[in-house]
Amino acid sequence: MTASQPVQSVLRGRRLLAGGSVAMIGLRLIIVYLFALLLQLTFFSQVRVAGVAPELPALVAILAGLFAGPRRGSVIAFCAGLMWDIYLSTPLGLAAASFVIVAYTLGGITEDLFHDTRLQTLLLVFVGTAAMVTVYALLGEVVGQRGLIDDRLPRVVLIASGWNALLSLVAAPAVRWAAGSGPARSRTRRREPTASPLKGR
Amino acid sequence: MAVAQRSGRSRYRLLLLILTAATLLTLDFRGFGPLDTAQSRVRDVLEPVVSAVDVVLGPVAEVWTVMFTYNDLRSENERLKDELDRLASADIRNAAEQDALERLLDATGVTFVEGVERLTATVLRDSVGNFDDDVMSIDVGHRHGVAPGMAVVTSAGFVGRVETVDAALSTVTAVSDPSLVVGVRLLDTGDVALGHGMAGDPTRFVVDAGLRWPETGDLSELPAVGSPVVTSAGSRYPADIPVGRVASVEPSEAGLAQLVTVDLAADVQDLGYVTVLLLTPTDEAPVGPDSPFPEQAP
Repeated sequence: MTASQPVQSVLRGRRLLAGGSVAMIGLRLIIVYLFALLLQLTFFSQVRVAGVAPELPALVAILAGLFAGPRRGSVIAFCAGLMWDIYLSTPLGLAAASFVIVAYTLGGITEDLFHDTRLQTLLLVFVGTAAMVTVYALLGEVVGQRGLIDDRLPRVVLIASGWNALLSLVAAPAVRWAAGSGPARSRTRRREPTASPLKGR
Repeated sequence: MAVAQRSGRSRYRLLLLILTAATLLTLDFRGFGPLDTAQSRVRDVLEPVVSAVDVVLGPVAEVWTVMFTYNDLRSENERLKDELDRLASADIRNAAEQDALERLLDATGVTFVEGVERLTATVLRDSVGNFDDDVMSIDVGHRHGVAPGMAVVTSAGFVGRVETVDAALSTVTAVSDPSLVVGVRLLDTGDVALGHGMAGDPTRFVVDAGLRWPETGDLSELPAVGSPVVTSAGSRYPADIPVGRVASVEPSEAGLAQLVTVDLAADVQDLGYVTVLLLTPTDEAPVGPDSPFPEQAP
């Protein structure tokens, strides 16, 4: 047994631990997302305000962008959009594309700017939902879907954003827990681990 | 340096995800079979869970509906009272059952299509998103012989077409959807044309392709208001299914074609039951004298 073997063993253990943690995060995200999807498909197909339901899959995608950052958040948003696409009448990939674009942008511009407050999350979710619904409608029209952009669009954008902002009070802690993000977001916590200065020496 | 690298990788990942979405979009547009099958499988797997949650949360959603649709319910109640008087029924419960029975009979008493096998289905859910108001789920699937493209009707007329089919569940795109193009025949003039739903108005249908404005200026050549409109033999659906009645005829913007607005025969917004016509749909509309498509020159 050489001197480097215990070190390698510790590193392997850490790697395994990290892998398990990633799996747990994935599992938690799936649970939270499925819960949101089921609510959207059942409860919110009837419970609407002026005919408009919240956009829970979009809410999960936005919160993932905010709490997990643009890199991980965009992947989560893509999966959320893809799953939502399966239930929509629009072509597969439309919601996924719009979710990715908005989650990445939102995650990117808020990464180093803000600290976390409930009001701030609420506002960001409102803006994010409005952007997501608009991008979805615009992309839909671009790929030839009729009837996405009409007089009803501003109403849908406003009410769905309001719904999502309100529901973010409940959903934000759930997504934060699922994404493995700390309770209070700060610059240092949001940043991904940088390479050690001792690496390679 | 590390930040720049991270940012580059991050953009690379974004690009990869968007390209994946674009690829899926393209495959979906081309009707790539395995993609449809995969989507159908996912829905089949989740359907029992969705149904169970629906059963649990249904009563809660009903409370919301009662709270916020009080006025609608009151007018419906008045209608039911009138019906009660007319039928001399004993109580409201009987009236509700009668209403359900009538809706079922409305859906099954289809008289305008002969020799086509039919299947009665219950409408399970309306739209789940905010942009698919014209989509509904019904409780029959390929297990029952349903296939994409089949016509869905009630005794009033054409309701829509089957869009996606899972094992025991299908979605129907209503005739009010602006994307659903239907070949129709105007009985008054015998003209065949193409129409689609009117955006923002689920009770209207617009016939805007295939009808020329009379060159002579003789307005008597236009279809009369109130005249019936049915599916044409050249459409993808069985012929002569009522679509609606002509509400107005106007010249289109260029003044060369007719823009015919039709009041839909079937109310596609509040459906309880529908009938699926189990006739294998034709993918290509036939070219001929009754076709909305002009014959191709060789």
